[in-house]
Amino acid sequence: MKIVLDRPRCEGHGLCEEAAPELMHLDDEGELVLDREELGDADLAAAGAAVRVCPVAALRLA
Amino acid sequence: MTDSTPVSDIDLFDDAVLVDPYPSYTALRALGGVVRLPANDVYALTRYDVIRNALGDWESFSSAGAIGFNPMVNEALTGTSLSSDPPVHTRLRATLTANLSPRALRGLKDTIDAKADALVGKLVAEGSFEAIDALGRALPLEVVADLIGFTGHARDNMLRWGQAAMQVIGPMNRRTAESFPIAGELYAWCSEVTAGDLAPGSVGRGIFEAEARGDIPPNTAGHIIHQYLGAGVDTTIASIGNLVALFAAHPDQLALVREDPALVPAAFNEVLRYWAPLHAWGRRATRDVELDGVVIPAGAKVAILFGAGNRDERHYDDPDAFLVERNPVDHLSFGYGPHGCAGQGLARLEGHAVIKALARRVERLVVGAEVRVPSNTTRSIEELPVLEVIPA
Repeated sequence: MKIVLDRPRCEGHGLCEEAAPELMHLDDEGELVLDREELGDADLAAAGAAVRVCPVAALRLA
Repeated sequence: MTDSTPVSDIDLFDDAVLVDPYPSYTALRALGGVVRLPANDVYALTRYDVIRNALGDWESFSSAGAIGFNPMVNEALTGTSLSSDPPVHTRLRATLTANLSPRALRGLKDTIDAKADALVGKLVAEGSFEAIDALGRALPLEVVADLIGFTGHARDNMLRWGQAAMQVIGPMNRRTAESFPIAGELYAWCSEVTAGDLAPGSVGRGIFEAEARGDIPPNTAGHIIHQYLGAGVDTTIASIGNLVALFAAHPDQLALVREDPALVPAAFNEVLRYWAPLHAWGRRATRDVELDGVVIPAGAKVAILFGAGNRDERHYDDPDAFLVERNPVDHLSFGYGPHGCAGQGLARLEGHAVIKALARRVERLVVGAEVRVPSNTTRSIEELPVLEVIPA
């Protein structure tokens, strides 16, 4: 599975980083960086939580 | 033809319902996730999953000409990001959030923290105060005025303009009729405002500079400023007033934040979940949509009840309890999806700053009875006397 970011939609609210700090972070400019897009089974819970908390629905699993 | 759609005679904009909608919300949720309300000519969305799915599905639930509950306001909102669908919405939203996203606001956190702490420190020293004016209104008015660069006449009118802009979103009742002229003052001012009316270095001035450079379309700066004031003042005032009242009523929950300041964001999420600042927000079904076993017919008006979804026992355990450790990060009070509150980053900065300051400086607030007056769109406390502060 992959985590997919709709870049134009992302406004940098940062709730995903709190839900899944091992998978993504906001850089110094406040832009979201996906540290790992390809997900292993162990990542699915955190990735799902990150998708769920994005307030503007900019993340999805594919 | 048989129609199994649940129906209720509840009027969402009845005075008693507006003052305390939660018993009505419980009754509506029990009837179904979608309930037809003939009094308001809407299909109300009442349960968490139904609301969240609808907010994410802009293709089935359009915002175009459908946000408000009377034709005049929907006409007036035409052409705003609030009242449009992708792809037009995507461009308008980007213009609106360029100066409002968390990344644009990063430099503001320390300033807002300092303002909130100074204000709370002064009030604690005074020992008794009216919390809505002295804190709930004072902080957002100062933050938004400084951010956008309002001075003089505009600054003096921010509160009444902001209240009226929300009030007119309701149905054409007395409150709406009385508020239209005031909302019109804001609209007229925003149509005529120029860069020179806004403080140098402010975001408002920056929006006019962006227009002059051609970075945003001609004649959009005034509209953006209109939306900042229309959407960003009354709602934040509501949530700050609410958090003071909730921490006064639940000193054990304030004690938890005092012991662990890392709970501040969780506590603000819980304040927003527990008392949603907005009652109802409109959409229109673009096709026959089946939700929760009910078919909402194409063209029907839909009312999204954020506060009802936030208390859905199918989604939150013990939903009528105020528990700061719950951290309901997925609450519905900012909406969700493409139209999710554009100002939520600023709202969080303000809410977190006030909770931090209260947790640092206050052990307990002794309050008198809160006064509420019915309001079409924003649910807020009108007066909250703090009779005594037990300082930290």
